[in-house]
Amino acid sequence: MELFLQTLIDGALIGGLIIVVGVGFSLCFGVMHIVDFAVGEWVMLGAYAAYWLVRYLGQDPMVYLPLIFALFFAAGWLVYPLIYRAVSGRRHHPALMGLVFTFGLSTLAKGGALSAWGYHVRSVSTWLSGQSVSLGVTTLPALRLAGFVFGVLTTVLFMIFLYGTRLGVSIRATAQDRETAALLGVDVRRVGALVYATYAGLTGMTGVLIGALFSIHAAMGAKYVIFAFFVVVLAGMGYVPGVIVAGLLLGLIQSFVGVYISGRYTLFALFLLMYLSLLVAPRGILRRGL
Amino acid sequence: MKPVRWWAICWFVGVLALVTVGAAGLVAAQQSAEYKVGVVTSLSGELAFGGNVTKRGYDLWADTLNKAGGILIGGKRYKVRLIYADDQSTPATAAVAGERLITQEKVDFILGPYASGTTLALAPITEKYRVPHITGSAESPLIWKGKFKYTFGTIPTVTIIAQASIQTLAQDVTPKPQTLAILGIDDAFSKFAAEAFRTAAQRFGIKVLRFDIVPEGSDYTPAVSAAKALNPDIFAMGSHEKAAIEMIKAAKELKFNPKAFVQHYGMTTPDFRKGLGKDAEYVFGTSVWTPNLNYQAKILFKTPREYAAAFKARFGSDPDYTEAASTAAGIAFQEALRAINAAPPLTQAQKDALIGALERLDLMTFYGPIRFATSGDYYHDNAGLQPIALQYQGGVTVEVGPGKLRLKAPKYPTPPWDKR
Amino acid sequence: MTTPAVEVRSPARSAAPRLTLGALLATALLLLPFTVSSFWIRIATEVLLWAGLAQSWNIIGGYTGYLSFGHGAFFGLGAYVTGIGMTVLGWPFPAGLAVSGVLAAALAAAIGYPTLRLRGAYFAIATWAFGEMLRQVATVLEVTGGAFGMRLPPFLNLPFFYYITLGTSTLVYVTTYLLLERSPFGYKLLAIREHEEAAEMVGVNTVGVKINAFALSAFFPGVLGGIYAYWLTYIHPDSVLGGIITDLMVVMVFLGGMGTFWGPLLGAFLVQLVSRSLWLVWGESTLYLVIIGAAICIVVLFMPGGIVGLLEGRRAPLLAPRAAWRWWRERVRW
Repeated sequence: MELFLQTLIDGALIGGLIIVVGVGFSLCFGVMHIVDFAVGEWVMLGAYAAYWLVRYLGQDPMVYLPLIFALFFAAGWLVYPLIYRAVSGRRHHPALMGLVFTFGLSTLAKGGALSAWGYHVRSVSTWLSGQSVSLGVTTLPALRLAGFVFGVLTTVLFMIFLYGTRLGVSIRATAQDRETAALLGVDVRRVGALVYATYAGLTGMTGVLIGALFSIHAAMGAKYVIFAFFVVVLAGMGYVPGVIVAGLLLGLIQSFVGVYISGRYTLFALFLLMYLSLLVAPRGILRRGL
Repeated sequence: MKPVRWWAICWFVGVLALVTVGAAGLVAAQQSAEYKVGVVTSLSGELAFGGNVTKRGYDLWADTLNKAGGILIGGKRYKVRLIYADDQSTPATAAVAGERLITQEKVDFILGPYASGTTLALAPITEKYRVPHITGSAESPLIWKGKFKYTFGTIPTVTIIAQASIQTLAQDVTPKPQTLAILGIDDAFSKFAAEAFRTAAQRFGIKVLRFDIVPEGSDYTPAVSAAKALNPDIFAMGSHEKAAIEMIKAAKELKFNPKAFVQHYGMTTPDFRKGLGKDAEYVFGTSVWTPNLNYQAKILFKTPREYAAAFKARFGSDPDYTEAASTAAGIAFQEALRAINAAPPLTQAQKDALIGALERLDLMTFYGPIRFATSGDYYHDNAGLQPIALQYQGGVTVEVGPGKLRLKAPKYPTPPWDKR
Repeated sequence: MTTPAVEVRSPARSAAPRLTLGALLATALLLLPFTVSSFWIRIATEVLLWAGLAQSWNIIGGYTGYLSFGHGAFFGLGAYVTGIGMTVLGWPFPAGLAVSGVLAAALAAAIGYPTLRLRGAYFAIATWAFGEMLRQVATVLEVTGGAFGMRLPPFLNLPFFYYITLGTSTLVYVTTYLLLERSPFGYKLLAIREHEEAAEMVGVNTVGVKINAFALSAFFPGVLGGIYAYWLTYIHPDSVLGGIITDLMVVMVFLGGMGTFWGPLLGAFLVQLVSRSLWLVWGESTLYLVIIGAAICIVVLFMPGGIVGLLEGRRAPLLAPRAAWRWWRERVRW
């Protein structure tokens, strides 16, 4: 029972962070029809940004979260015109071009990080690292708890923005039907830039927490591509509330398979589930995707 | 199809031919009276860190030897020249690299890759061209079971090394630990290490409560939680340093505090120490060589200490056993060449004779005795060495066993997390 | 992007040089092992292998317009089937190859049946997930050697592997030419790529055609995977099922030109030779990843038609000597 509760908590806590990565990724697909292969690289760069900031300016990495959001928002804003160019124009398969372009970006970022910073594994620690809170028979690692709170908070704020503001409405409108939204006076290109920049900012921020939880190296992003894919497939592409369910589910599967079967079957289980979900419910388990 | 495209293709082929010929010209062989030593190792790709570890070992051998004048054959000294070929951490490129060094560069012998996978792709190539090849790092039992006539190794296989720390814990501490949980990573090296922990535990009467193999890069919290629930005396990690860092972080977060943490290879690297800070304290590990050993040798470096000092002067960091074993691989070649009096360039008959000389080698070096097995499951592996158990005490690794290899007493059990 | 060619020739006149060039190329390829060192035979074998793989991917990715991001899975499957067949079951090498190809095609059909009904991005993700899953299976199973990898009996005859790779890759190109460039099947695929709903309305059994194309595009990687395993004698989940295999196929086809007959060949030639040349002169750096990444981005942004698109583009006629000469004379007067 004790182990069961601990497993539940481990899974839910890590799920919180995955949700943040998933939300931006999902919206990116919804609004621009871009499957962003570089999602893991935003995580990786976010973690490195925290590492270098701490290295040269000191302080706790958590302090830099807003700054990193701003930095990555700007980076996303700058990258977006390139992506826009890749998916528009007289090309055979605009969406597929976006896929390949972000794949190129991902290789570029990974190679750049490797060449610049080498293969050394780096770590940052925050005042929360190694701390934990006891709750009954279970232990809640403080940093994971903070990550979960951060994930939920960010997602809730983002949902309020999406569902409560004028800009949010135009984003959702674009996600639902690009052409109609454009006809109704939504500047589709600007909405796209905004979404991509926000997504980059959120993912970069999550990278800080992920970097503090695990370790920082150039190849660390790869598995977040897998997670983001898994989450949006289960959630239904472009359907944001589904991401929360799917993110938690992912955390729980990872945790329960790891404890009760063996960690080596975790990825296998994830892929199998994702595959089955594509077959049975291609619009997500809540059947609300695009 | 428009006719113009054929012209375009001609251009295209022409440019390619130029690139190819240019590249070929750049690597064209030069002849001189020195040994040409091919080095295949991972200078890029995911194993680049380890590849550079072996490179430093090989470099130190070549530099020190050349500074001393070279290898004395028939009254004349011959220097060595290392020619590197990157295997990009992939078996396919390791094969191409071997082919290039042997057929283009015409090397006399080869110093081998860091990892087992690349070595297994290179070994058939050296076998085909009958070129002697010693690896200073690869230690997978699969290599030795392959019985490659032209492949040797200076590090005992991981299945032997990894047992030392369990042996120390079973024999040298009181009360004797009774139970053990093992968490390994799904790569060849780590999995062998995990299996070695299991074998050792069974041999020394420690009960294995859980044996779990997980993929690299997964979240280790669930596996650590599962281990914690069983409350083992020893938590053994079959992994490289990166995974070990994350596993220990997870253990600390979950307040999992077994009486001993055991790791195999990664704990001696600077990354491990830097990544964990004082949480690295008390972690057990294994090695086959440390600078504190009492070997007395006559070739190049007289003692392990002298080697460590030379290494520090050259690279600014302390050597680990892989660097030492890589340097020792060079020394093995050097002595075998002297034994058969073969001046460069080597003929095929001399290369074959070199294999015989390597098999007969019985050598004392700063790295310890070098004797390659000539039969059995460890065919052509250096069987002469004794694995040593290490533990982090006060920020450095110290030798704690097994038995008379102890320099300091092992600290057991490990104190709670907040008392380190 | 068609522009009037500078010279208008009749097909009959242009066929002769084309045939001559083809014959020359074939002779050069057949005689290559007798003229270069074994190192270059190895490089040439790699190039041919990749040319075959790239064209296989092009069948589903380029001609049909469905990006398979897990195509490396079929290559790895072939490698492991041949490996297990030869070491555990004692099959001869050709039997291993045949079974590899057939199994890869069958598996592709099985995956294709549900996923090819989905939209493009879903298909891309489903195949990618499938590829990663297969890698996990190979790592977990005992018969594949798991994370330790698998050794095959060494047969170190470079010309043999050169010729068998040449043969298989040629077969890929011949099949593509006959089935896709010169038959109703090819036109159906083209129709699906350009407008799937319309194709369905005029009576094309789109799902069936797509599954056939996918199975065909998986057959050859299966065979080539078997050859590769026997050639290298050592396979590992990361080396034959790693993401980089698929990545390279995609990059080569994109660089050469999606959905074109010669594109994959040019792309494979360029990528493999340039990467090996970089490796030769400058191998100790990871900058090659940066170069590959930047190349992909640039191709997507500025030359979506790939090299073939560039060669057929507006300035392409300038590559022919007579046209170039005329262009030169118009601008330079002396």
